[in-house]
Amino acid sequence: MKILSIISLVILSASLAHAAPDRVATVKATVNGMVCSFCAQGILAHFKKHPAVSDVHVDLTRKLVLLEERKGKSITDKEITEYIKKSGFEPVKVERVKESFDEAKGG
Amino acid sequence: MQSHLFSQLTQTKKLKIISTSILLAASAAAHPVAFEGAYQLMFGTAGDVQNFELYRSYSAQAAWGIHAMRFEGDEDEVFTGLQHNWLLKRWNLPSAQANVYAGLGAGLAGEVGNGSSPAGIGFFRADYETRRVYTAFDAKLVESADVSRGVFSAAVGIAPYKAEFDQLNTWLILQVEHVTGMEDNLEIIPKVRFFKGPYFLELGSTLRGQPVVNFMIHF
Repeated sequence: MKILSIISLVILSASLAHAAPDRVATVKATVNGMVCSFCAQGILAHFKKHPAVSDVHVDLTRKLVLLEERKGKSITDKEITEYIKKSGFEPVKVERVKESFDEAKGG
Repeated sequence: MQSHLFSQLTQTKKLKIISTSILLAASAAAHPVAFEGAYQLMFGTAGDVQNFELYRSYSAQAAWGIHAMRFEGDEDEVFTGLQHNWLLKRWNLPSAQANVYAGLGAGLAGEVGNGSSPAGIGFFRADYETRRVYTAFDAKLVESADVSRGVFSAAVGIAPYKAEFDQLNTWLILQVEHVTGMEDNLEIIPKVRFFKGPYFLELGSTLRGQPVVNFMIHF
């Protein structure tokens, strides 16, 4: 019985550790080469199709792509860099920030 | 008046004018490859020439599609072909982007209702752009039984303001084009370029007063 409880605890901890956080998260990606909004339309097109992304914002001045993740869902860093490359640009850094999406947009 | 003058030209002269006009119209296409999965629809008019291009970018480095052109004269001329475009090299810099493109195409050209002959097209393009400065160089070669021409084009532009991603972008552009094999011919084209979202529009005129209109969309 004790062994069963330990196993259940381990499984529960493991699943909690791998679950996406149950909150809306903001991702900030720094991108090189984004100087033209017409050329950067691929960024919007690709990220809007991802089921974990609820909103996308491109900031040409700060060279940033901001993503808002849906509650309980997550997009991986690998997917983010892959989408940026498919759009024709060079990802420099991907970071998950504590600011809300609107706060991050505001600079 | 223009139609009357055109009808008096020899067939060779007509073909030269037609091929030159086609090339000038084709050189308006400034975005040979877009993002992976995108369709690029481009069409425009320069004087009596209409240009139509539809490409599918199957990666961020390559696209293929249809290229069709029509020249309106006493005898309308039509070119239709398939074209493949490559992005050979891109430099994604923190505040700039530079690109080198090349393309090859094959098709048919001729007078409407009067047969056509095989034609090939090749191009090379290099550009450099920041949010305030734009420069581009294009070289195009066309070969067919009747036509052997080269077109060299250079453009510089400035943006009067730095537009953000969701704002209307405005560019003031000066383009110079030279066509080989013709009488010395240097076409100077001042134009205004606007784009917002996936829509792109250019309005301008040659110094001889021929209107230049180009439209492009990504979807």
